[in-house]
Amino acid sequence: MRVLVGVKRVVDYAVKVRVAADKKAVDLANVKMSMNPFCEIAVEEAVRLKEAKKATEIIAVSIGPKAAAETIRTALAMGCDRGIHLTTDARTDQELGPNSVAKLLAKVVEEESPDAIILGKQSIDGDFGCTGAMLAEHLKIPQCTFAATIDFDAKTVERETDTGTEVVSFPSLPAVFTADLRLNEPRYATLPNIMKAKKKKIDTKAADSLGVELNEGNTVLEVFEPPPREAGIFVDDVDGLVDKLKNEAGVL
Amino acid sequence: MLASRFLRPLSTRCLSTAVSPSGGGSGTLSLFSPSEEHVGLREMVRSFAESEVEPQALEHNRTETFNLPLFRKLGDLGLLGVTVEEEYGGSGMDATACVIVMEELSAVDPAFCLSYLAHSCLFLSNLNQNGSHEQKVKYSPGACSGEIVGGMCMSEPGAGTDVLGMATTATPKGDDYVINGQKMWITNGTVDGVNTGDAFLVYARTGEARSDVSMFIVEKGMPGFSLGQKIENKLGMRASMTAELVFEDVVVNKSQLVGQLNGAAICMMRNLEIERVALAAMSSGIARRCIEEMAKYSTTRKAFGKPIGDFGQIQKMIAESYAEYMASKSYIYNTSNNLDLSSAGNVMDSDGVKLFAGKMAKDVADRAIQVLGGNGYTGEYRVEQLWRDAKLLEIGGGTNESHHKNMTKWFGKAGTTLP
Ligand SMILES: Cc1cc2nc3c(=O)[nH]c(=O)nc-3n(C[C@H](O)[C@H](O)[C@H](O)COP(=O)(O)OP(=O)(O)OC[C@H]3O[C@@H](n4cnc5c(N)ncnc54)[C@H](O)[C@@H]3O)c2cc1C
Repeated sequence: MRVLVGVKRVVDYAVKVRVAADKKAVDLANVKMSMNPFCEIAVEEAVRLKEAKKATEIIAVSIGPKAAAETIRTALAMGCDRGIHLTTDARTDQELGPNSVAKLLAKVVEEESPDAIILGKQSIDGDFGCTGAMLAEHLKIPQCTFAATIDFDAKTVERETDTGTEVVSFPSLPAVFTADLRLNEPRYATLPNIMKAKKKKIDTKAADSLGVELNEGNTVLEVFEPPPREAGIFVDDVDGLVDKLKNEAGVL
Repeated sequence: MLASRFLRPLSTRCLSTAVSPSGGGSGTLSLFSPSEEHVGLREMVRSFAESEVEPQALEHNRTETFNLPLFRKLGDLGLLGVTVEEEYGGSGMDATACVIVMEELSAVDPAFCLSYLAHSCLFLSNLNQNGSHEQKVKYSPGACSGEIVGGMCMSEPGAGTDVLGMATTATPKGDDYVINGQKMWITNGTVDGVNTGDAFLVYARTGEARSDVSMFIVEKGMPGFSLGQKIENKLGMRASMTAELVFEDVVVNKSQLVGQLNGAAICMMRNLEIERVALAAMSSGIARRCIEEMAKYSTTRKAFGKPIGDFGQIQKMIAESYAEYMASKSYIYNTSNNLDLSSAGNVMDSDGVKLFAGKMAKDVADRAIQVLGGNGYTGEYRVEQLWRDAKLLEIGGGTNESHHKNMTKWFGKAGTTLP
């Protein structure tokens, strides 16, 4: 089985983001960027498949600016075999939306014909959470989203839902899977593997050379910080509390 | 790695360098991460340090215990043998790689980092540079994986700065040497408080002349080799164990002699160079963390109706700290990027960086406590620990005064034309 994983470069989850002066986007200047945490989980799942001798090759794909090559390098250091970098100057957190990404990935899948495509369930910048589903739709292949476990032998996936998990089966491969938080715990790239990663190949081509129309339809009008939380108050007694919950919060 | 970090509550995410003004904090090549491997290494160690080392630091420093399981994880990551050749189980990287690991670990737990230094730099890197193929085959793989914990024994109760004044002797006897004496202040001398550590490079006197010193490998369990006092209640570095080791007629085969007989003074000097640059990197890590804590606190803490960062005196402390930190860091990496681990004769700058960085970190940590006020004086905010840990770097691996002496002597040898 050959596996293709998507790896997106996003603002590191721990960074406290700032809104840019023009209020059109988050300020990316001098901000620490990392691999999207859900993509890391996707990579880990693929690497475990390879370690279990179920996968023969793992291809890591990233769509993004020049620096996204570093994210691919991280994936290679974790155990992927080679990389594909589709370069674009469009901001991948808001200009290049999920449908454009899905269409680009579909092109790559058509070229590489992997048996499984594993993506993160969402990226933590755009937070759309629909790239995987759109990709499967473009390719007309099965999809199993929000995976908590994937069993390729039994052809089943345990999915996260709002009320617990459910187990679904998928009819055949190729199929698209999206990784949820509990699928696994990603490893650290070891130093020897970081050194080996440098020798692995990354194919680079311009995203706009694939003949895909990249337009999103959505324009970001304004980006703003959530209003600061207001200070709490002390109520005098239980009656006061019940009154507030009923008449102000409207939750009772 | 991120999944667990991702799940962790925001409070432990305090270390992230949201902003890296010099570009050194992430991604790109720089003086501080001169190759792609260095970039990847720094990112990996920082991520590991923040999610796995940081959460245990307070507890282990309080209880004065060494975290062996965590230490072994460094082996899994290929960090213990960072400078050791691959054929002996290491990662085969350079002085700058060692400096990067030191700096990143020190930003979260200098004590844990000190134990790492004694093992990776003083034992493993020392053996790698000076040991024979057979010795490296015997000891390096186990030490690179963390199965055995090593250290280096130079100082004695009666000889520290005056290291060549050591009294421990190794006397030839047939195919063996018999070692007698005491070694003091040995990091990793014990890791459990009961037994000695696993393996040590021990310097001992083997001739009449002052520099007739040789180096031997001594293993745990050798008859006559025992744990003396475990040194407790240190000012700082409390999660790193320090001990006295006692040698009473310890018989070691001549195959345990590292390098030439009476030839260890040069090995010692060579190893002290990387040790000092690595210790300077510890100061750098301490300072970075302190500056991050100060900068963060100054925006959230209010007094007289505004953030304390609006006050000029607070601004002075933060700005001067940053400038000194960057000056020191640039000097450290400029030195490490040019340091060939197999050479000796870089004393001017290996001593120079430690001298400068040590004071810098101590000053910065002091300001961090000042900026944090009462909170700074208590454990939870970490800076008081960093302040205590910072002081060691003016003593261990050579006192400030020994650097003054070495550096001034160097002028006598090399002349006074400066770069
Ligand atoms: C936590 C910790 C860990 C350590 N780990 C190790 C280890 O793993 N292995 C190891 O071998 N050692 C280790 N050491 C020992 C350390 O290297 C020594 O403490 C250090 O070299 C100083 O030696 P000393 O303590 O004997 O001080 P001394 O040499 O007695 O110095 C006392 C004072 O006199 C000054 N002085 C001495 N000579 C001169 C001079 N010529 N001119 C001016 N001033 C002078 C010193 O600078 C200092 O201020 C460790 C120490 C500590 C505290």
